[in-house]
Amino acid sequence: MKISLEWLRDYVDIRQKPERLKEDLALSGLVAESFSRVADDVVFDFEVTSNRPDCLSHVGVAREVAARYRRPLRLPPGSESLTAAGPEVPYGIEIRDPDLCPRYTGLVLDGVEVRPSPPWLERRLVAAGMRPLNNVVDVTNYVLLELGHPLHAFDYHRLRGGKIVVARAAPGTKMTTLDGVVRGLDPEMLLINDGERPVAIAGVMGGLDSEISESTRTVLLECAYFDPRSVRRTSKRLGLLTEAAYRFERGADWNDTVTATARACRLLQEVAGARVAGSLQDVYPTPLRPVVIELRRRNAENLLGVRLTDRFVVSTLERLEFKPEPAGKGIWQVSCPSFRADMELEADLIEELARFRGYDKIPTTVRGGGAGTPSPARRIENAARGALLGVGYHEAVNLSFAADSELQQFPGSEGAPVPVSNPLTEETRFLRTTLAAGLVKSVKHNFNHDNRLVRLFEIGHVFGARASGEVEERRVLGMAATGGFAGANWANPAGATFFHLKGALEAVLAALRSARWEVLPGEGVPWLDPAGTARLVVAGETLGVLGPLHPALEEQHKLRQRVFLAEIEFDRLAPHLFRPVTFEPLPRYPAVERDLSVLVGADAEFREIAAGIEQLGISELVALDLIDVYEGGKIPAGKRSMTLRLRFQDRARTLTIDQVQAFGDNVLTFLRKKFGAELR
Amino acid sequence: MATDVNELRARFDADLGAASTLEACKTVRDRWLGREQGIISAEMKRLRELPAVQRPAFGAAMNELRGHAESELGRALERLQAEARRAAEASARIDVTRPGFPLQIGAEHPIKRLQAEIESIFVALGFEIWDLPEIETEHYNFEALNMPANHPARDSQDTFYLPGGKLLRTHCSSVQVHAMEQRKPPIRAVSTGKVYRRDPFDATHSPMFYQADVLAVDERITMGDLKGTLLLFLKQVFHPDIRMRLRPGFFPFVEPGAEVDISCIFCDGKGCGKCKGSGWIEILGAGMVHPKVLAMSGVDPARYTGFAWGMGIDRVAILKYGVDNIRLFFENDLRFLTQF
Repeated sequence: MKISLEWLRDYVDIRQKPERLKEDLALSGLVAESFSRVADDVVFDFEVTSNRPDCLSHVGVAREVAARYRRPLRLPPGSESLTAAGPEVPYGIEIRDPDLCPRYTGLVLDGVEVRPSPPWLERRLVAAGMRPLNNVVDVTNYVLLELGHPLHAFDYHRLRGGKIVVARAAPGTKMTTLDGVVRGLDPEMLLINDGERPVAIAGVMGGLDSEISESTRTVLLECAYFDPRSVRRTSKRLGLLTEAAYRFERGADWNDTVTATARACRLLQEVAGARVAGSLQDVYPTPLRPVVIELRRRNAENLLGVRLTDRFVVSTLERLEFKPEPAGKGIWQVSCPSFRADMELEADLIEELARFRGYDKIPTTVRGGGAGTPSPARRIENAARGALLGVGYHEAVNLSFAADSELQQFPGSEGAPVPVSNPLTEETRFLRTTLAAGLVKSVKHNFNHDNRLVRLFEIGHVFGARASGEVEERRVLGMAATGGFAGANWANPAGATFFHLKGALEAVLAALRSARWEVLPGEGVPWLDPAGTARLVVAGETLGVLGPLHPALEEQHKLRQRVFLAEIEFDRLAPHLFRPVTFEPLPRYPAVERDLSVLVGADAEFREIAAGIEQLGISELVALDLIDVYEGGKIPAGKRSMTLRLRFQDRARTLTIDQVQAFGDNVLTFLRKKFGAELR
Repeated sequence: MATDVNELRARFDADLGAASTLEACKTVRDRWLGREQGIISAEMKRLRELPAVQRPAFGAAMNELRGHAESELGRALERLQAEARRAAEASARIDVTRPGFPLQIGAEHPIKRLQAEIESIFVALGFEIWDLPEIETEHYNFEALNMPANHPARDSQDTFYLPGGKLLRTHCSSVQVHAMEQRKPPIRAVSTGKVYRRDPFDATHSPMFYQADVLAVDERITMGDLKGTLLLFLKQVFHPDIRMRLRPGFFPFVEPGAEVDISCIFCDGKGCGKCKGSGWIEILGAGMVHPKVLAMSGVDPARYTGFAWGMGIDRVAILKYGVDNIRLFFENDLRFLTQF
């Protein structure tokens, strides 16, 4: 809301510099984003919050200034007589839907000469950001900017039947508004009709047919109070946000229709030679009553944490045009002014006291409380984040949305995609179903900026709709790794990215004290390469997948480098984490290691070998590692050399050489029999 | 006849003088000082063959020779060993200027780090952290927070709707309603996380961002308690020396409502470009819980009062780190992430 300082001074004396005024008003709740000096004037741009429509006018702002500086407020004069001097021009007003229009005030003016407004009036409109049109329309706009109440001027001779009928639209009604657009209207919209047809959309915009033109001689002035919700609904439906609708939907002053009409009348007499030809008609079937709120000083003190005097309470409220009637010691029945649409409860009055007492005068205190409690889910999430950062994965955050194309490429594992009913762009058409899609996008972004060693993780929500239509929200851990251990670097072992990812995931599981897990061959993940798809199984349940990005997607995204991905159902993993710690005494006898290098078929999986050895039931076998894998060279085709390191330990005694020899032979015999292994 | 000890000494000196390597030196040591076969031990055995009167003098002379040999050999060995170590060091030299193994610690996302920091501050202040879904109902997101349908305040919170009347939460303030429904006062609750508004991307807007929302409800909680808790919190997030001010503000779920400014962290409140010369930076919205919000969530507004505030975590990150475009937070560019 643009407010001219020169104009404001009509209503209140202001001695403060603009900087000071801006600061003082901000501290009592009226914030000017900025002000600018225009010729001899200063124009403030106030951000008026939606609860204070009374400040959407110069008089409204002047009232705040007057209260702030304890100076008198001078209201602008209106026409003294609103009665026709000569014969009455006939007109009638009928309100058919008083629920949406509690009050409608009309006045007919004759002898109007439509011409440009005088310079002072045009200047003020321009300062407040409005374009001057002609003196009649300008006066209605001037009063809107001055008093905050929207008015409308009809060309009286274009109103058929000389009457105004306020009623909801009949089904299928259409009308052309001032902006030349034909509008289809629904039966919930309130219209101003003449004897035959709609001439304005109530509180939103007038009709083209009854517009003021150069030939207009007689004007019907409308000043009404419309239901805020109705105006808001209509304005939203039609996409028509006018200055009038903006004020009506926030709540205009229901008690100033006559004052505003008198003010407009006086100005039209001055600048357009108008005279009253049809006396004021104020149709107000059920008068609205001011809001009365009981205020207890004690309640205000308790809510604010500051002492207040009765004198302060009364003088502050009176300066803001409230009427506090004493109703006991420190108790008042406060009648609220009709322009304060925000008044409803005692707390609203207490805020007025706080505003003028000054928020800075409220002492800061701290109340002791009980012990705080972290969210269990977040505790696990933060532990996982710490572990993932520790193993070298950077933390990513992607938008929770997905485009159609991403869903095609990265379908989720559970539920149907959830469409956004009102997407902003193609990118926000759906909620994401995987983290993988976003992580691949992030990898690509980094590739495009010449970073080809990328390791990322993200813990976030993915979404899927159940058959019932209910949307399920799951917390998922996503990981992406590409570029080996270290990118181009002297210390980089080649081709180890998958095992880096797997190792990192397992390190994290270990750090989170996960229940026993296994990584097993997997299948059926559309975005993973079937040749390397694996699944994470924890306590017998598949809780995630990992593997290389599908070659077709790698190609489609022009990645030219293998990208490895993991996606883990974090919420479902959580119950398996942080198993309680039980201490196991340290072994007192030494362990013995034995390495076995064997040739096995190239299709033999390490997991099968390890599981088989475990099933031999050698209780002294405490660890089994794969310390070397080798194929090609001297190794016959179709074979692979594996070196296993077996670690034996007995908790009760030192193992003898013979015992260890026997364990090793036992393992070797098994490998020979089961895998056709040859000792190298 | 007694051996001429002086001659023995001269032989030893010549022998040691000729030993130029560590090995040769050890051979000299074994030859002269060997326990059984060593020359000095062998000569000492002849002590008994000498007449009694000569024995003390011979014995003393031989002991003196042993001492001489031990100390000379010790010195020589030490010198040669040091030389050998130096030679070995030279050949085993590590080029310590080669790059260290490229171990990497991951970079924490700046917003997630702040989120975790903020939550831990609140745990220390005695609050319970609530982890809530991002999909909400109209009721929890708007209506129970005194923002009924067609309320103009909803204009600033353009919402993404989902099928079935659900929506993506536009703030974390719904923690107020959930906490009051599920706990009895005293209540201290905080919820942080992603929120969504239908704003196109520009330097300061994103359709998704992060918020932290706070609620305290008890008997006789005052606006002074709001100010005190806020100040404690803001000092921990920004700097112990910052100052804070509250201005009247409007949020439908609080009354009185306040906009909260902190003294500009770039100029310490003196006035600079970042604070548009005012010395203050608007940081969050706060207020006393609206009596209607209390009542709607089943808390008696005649008995209890409370405070609430909500802040953008992204906004704090932008201020703290001077990030000039909110979009950077969601691109996951390593050149960006590794700066934090």
